Amino acid sequence: MAEAVQVGRAPAVGRWRSRARSLLTQESLVTLLASLVVAVAVLLPLATLIVSSFRVLDEAGFDTRWGLDNYRAMVDDRIIGKAFVNTLVISTGATLLATLLGVSLAWINARSNCPAREQLEPFNLIPFFLSPFVGAIAWHNLAAPRTGLLNALARDALGVPGHVLNVDNIYGIIWVTGIFFTPLVYLFVVGSLRRMDPALEDSARTTGAGLLRTTLTVTLPLVAPAILSGAIIVFVTSAGEFGVPFKLGAPYGWETLTTQIFSKAVGDEANHYMGATMSMALGALTAVFVWIQQRVLAPRAFTTVTGKGFRPNVVDLGRWRWLALAYNLAFVLIAVVLPIFCLVVVSLHPVWEGRIIPRDLTLWNYQKVLFFWRPDAIRSATNGIGNSFVLAFAGASIAMTLALVVSYMIHRTKGFGARVLEVLCVVPIGFPGIVIAMGVLVTYIKTPIYATLWILLVGYITRFFPYGQRNVSSVMLAVSEELDQSSRLSGASWLTTLRRITIPLLKPGIFAGWVLLFIIFLRELSISIILYTAGTETLSVGVYYLANFENEPLTAALSVAQTVALLVCVVVFRRVAGREALTA
Amino acid sequence: MDPGRVGPQHLQVRGLIKSFGPERAVDDISFGIAPGKFLTLLGPSGCGKTTTLMCIAGLHRLDAGEIRVGGALYSSVADSVFLPPEKRDIGMVFQSYAIWPHMTVAENVAYPLAIRRVARAEIDGRVAEVLRLTGLLELAGRLATQLSGGQQQRAALARAIVFRPTLLLFDEPLSNLDLKLRERMRIELKRIQREVGITSVYVTHDQAEALVMSDEIIVMSQGRIQQVGGPHAIYARPANRYVSNFIGVANLLPGQIVRVTAPGRGEIEIRQGAECVRLPCRLGDGLIEGMSAVLSVRPESVTVLREHSTEPRLEGEVVHSIFLGNCLDCRVRWADFEWKVLAHPRERFRPGERVFLRLDAQHTLAVRP
Repeated sequence: MAEAVQVGRAPAVGRWRSRARSLLTQESLVTLLASLVVAVAVLLPLATLIVSSFRVLDEAGFDTRWGLDNYRAMVDDRIIGKAFVNTLVISTGATLLATLLGVSLAWINARSNCPAREQLEPFNLIPFFLSPFVGAIAWHNLAAPRTGLLNALARDALGVPGHVLNVDNIYGIIWVTGIFFTPLVYLFVVGSLRRMDPALEDSARTTGAGLLRTTLTVTLPLVAPAILSGAIIVFVTSAGEFGVPFKLGAPYGWETLTTQIFSKAVGDEANHYMGATMSMALGALTAVFVWIQQRVLAPRAFTTVTGKGFRPNVVDLGRWRWLALAYNLAFVLIAVVLPIFCLVVVSLHPVWEGRIIPRDLTLWNYQKVLFFWRPDAIRSATNGIGNSFVLAFAGASIAMTLALVVSYMIHRTKGFGARVLEVLCVVPIGFPGIVIAMGVLVTYIKTPIYATLWILLVGYITRFFPYGQRNVSSVMLAVSEELDQSSRLSGASWLTTLRRITIPLLKPGIFAGWVLLFIIFLRELSISIILYTAGTETLSVGVYYLANFENEPLTAALSVAQTVALLVCVVVFRRVAGREALTA
Repeated sequence: MDPGRVGPQHLQVRGLIKSFGPERAVDDISFGIAPGKFLTLLGPSGCGKTTTLMCIAGLHRLDAGEIRVGGALYSSVADSVFLPPEKRDIGMVFQSYAIWPHMTVAENVAYPLAIRRVARAEIDGRVAEVLRLTGLLELAGRLATQLSGGQQQRAALARAIVFRPTLLLFDEPLSNLDLKLRERMRIELKRIQREVGITSVYVTHDQAEALVMSDEIIVMSQGRIQQVGGPHAIYARPANRYVSNFIGVANLLPGQIVRVTAPGRGEIEIRQGAECVRLPCRLGDGLIEGMSAVLSVRPESVTVLREHSTEPRLEGEVVHSIFLGNCLDCRVRWADFEWKVLAHPRERFRPGERVFLRLDAQHTLAVRP
């Protein structure tokens, strides 16, 4: 029998020291450090944002004083007022469109005998991984009044005068945003439909209710929290979306809150304090909705969901199943195939005028944006490729490390600190990237990290580490705490247990979260656009540069390059992560 | 109950209190265990038995009290001592087995030795030794996920004893196994524990398990100790109504002690509806004349007779009798009370039949309410 460790009775003088030692364990040090990092990362930018919104810049633009002038100016300003209304209209429209598409596609995939639905599912999700900004560029090239490929086809083939389609307006913004955020609703609803106990519906059928009646009185009410959750997420994501309104709205007089915040953050008219005030307005709007979703809807979405693997009831659609297939194919065509096809076509032309000219096709644009360094605008784009990969790799790694420690705290140490952390992890989800970015900008602008990649890294991690945390947490909930405890009792310290037991068991969740963050960071625009400076452009900022200062084919070439990189990541992600890993 | 009992105590728990929020999961308990003995904490879920075990393991911090193992202070609130679990040299078998799914059986078992930087050759020898002891030698190369429940159970035990800990803890280790396997594993666990000679603390809600395996049993309820004693004592002389009801099956009738005839013997008066009888019985500790008490009679200590032969007269009506193979489970209504009786399997009683009950005075016990 091994010798017991002799501790003995602590003398009165040593008592304080032994108490201190019992508090200063590896576990408490690491978790304290992580909580501090999270608290500072999340609360500091928001606090600075609030403070800044009450600072008023004087006429000369040098000095500031306290006051409510920014808020007054925001209410009085006609452009901002209109931008606010536009934001509401766009978010509402996009939410309706995405919910309609998301719910119907989810039902077809989870509950009908639509042919090939297993094969279609990954394609329905692709827009989730791609950049909506690139989607807007693609749809601009498809359906701009003069140079849109579809309009040109209609003119040439059908002889229609003028144009049939026009996406360069608020409806185009709603269209592209709605399509790109459809997977958000889809993921919520499909999960809920798949995990619902089929006995709930069967028992309704046995009482004499028909299929339609059962669907309306049992299925739909049970899925309602999931639908509403998805709808709210689409609403706030649309309200915070920058790329789509920037491409399809701003140049044609349709401003939104995000494009207005952008104009106050950079350029000649820059006024960070005004930008902070507008971010407050946008943040207040989204935070309320996310709070409702997290506190009221999300818990309910799981009351009927036992997490057991059920075989859901499948409805035989008969001949109508071919219509369901056509509907699903149409979505994939509109959301994935057409945009990517169009971008590829445009990127192969030296100049784009809405017509495919086979003898002009060239790869010159790719050579220019990927390898050619001379013209400054193109150089920014090329810089962006390297920067984005560095940021995505470092950001995902740091964020997942943080996510791991935070998840551990929340699920394994169940004290007051754990509850505080849990709340802190939801806060960033409540604010659009552009709002967090404004907060990070006003917080760190006078520190050395401004104008370096570090400030972008801080912005990325602050906004997105909760997504990684959720991935780790979902796996951690499935891994029994006793597995850790038995390692401790076997004689392993906290860190050794973490290294040899906890992390190996959480590997799938950690890796899935890492790839998801890598994808998000690789396409990130609305944080980067606020925080970049010359030399720290990112991939999406590069696309923005080309869209703004160069021609469409060059823009399309870089867009295609980004899309290809993202699609490769998606394939990796699907290999390592289960279906449910996406529901953040 | 008495922490300062005679004999050397290997594990000593004194004044242990542990709360979760406003609720006291463990409410000031003290007990000890002699070296090499097998102690069981028995009680329903939520009685604080697992919390007590977690405190001993160092997986929970105490709110008050102290824990000593082999003379060394492991946890003490007064002295601000808290030894982290990895320094305690305690082996533990968890309810879920907690076999690490990313390692083989041999790797699982070797882990505690690898942590202690034992030489490779010695690790192999000791792992093989405990795998042989637990009958897992052939499965050494299997992944934990490829094992059955019973095999995972053995692997967990092998891992807990391989580093020759000073104390072995079991947290309801058999509750996830089916009945047949559970009965076999009881014997098996006890055999291995005896062979290795480790002092053990076992937590269970299954009274049969406790009776079969333990040298000593502590019955707990709502964070407090109800009774401490050997399996026979606990079964034959429950300290109070709670223990009597929890261990085995008992007919429990409230009454009053009316006479003490000899030390530990007396008469209890039972009123049930219109009936009022005085029954001779053994008296539990501390019961004196005039005190209210509960009469506890095991079903096997009651005999059903067709003719009246003894005083006092307990005449009732058969409610039902169910043939269970090795015995006949009868219910007999007497006044407002329904007696549970185990009769010989060859007996037959019709519902509604008038019968007489005879109580075995040796096994009729009055306990505190």
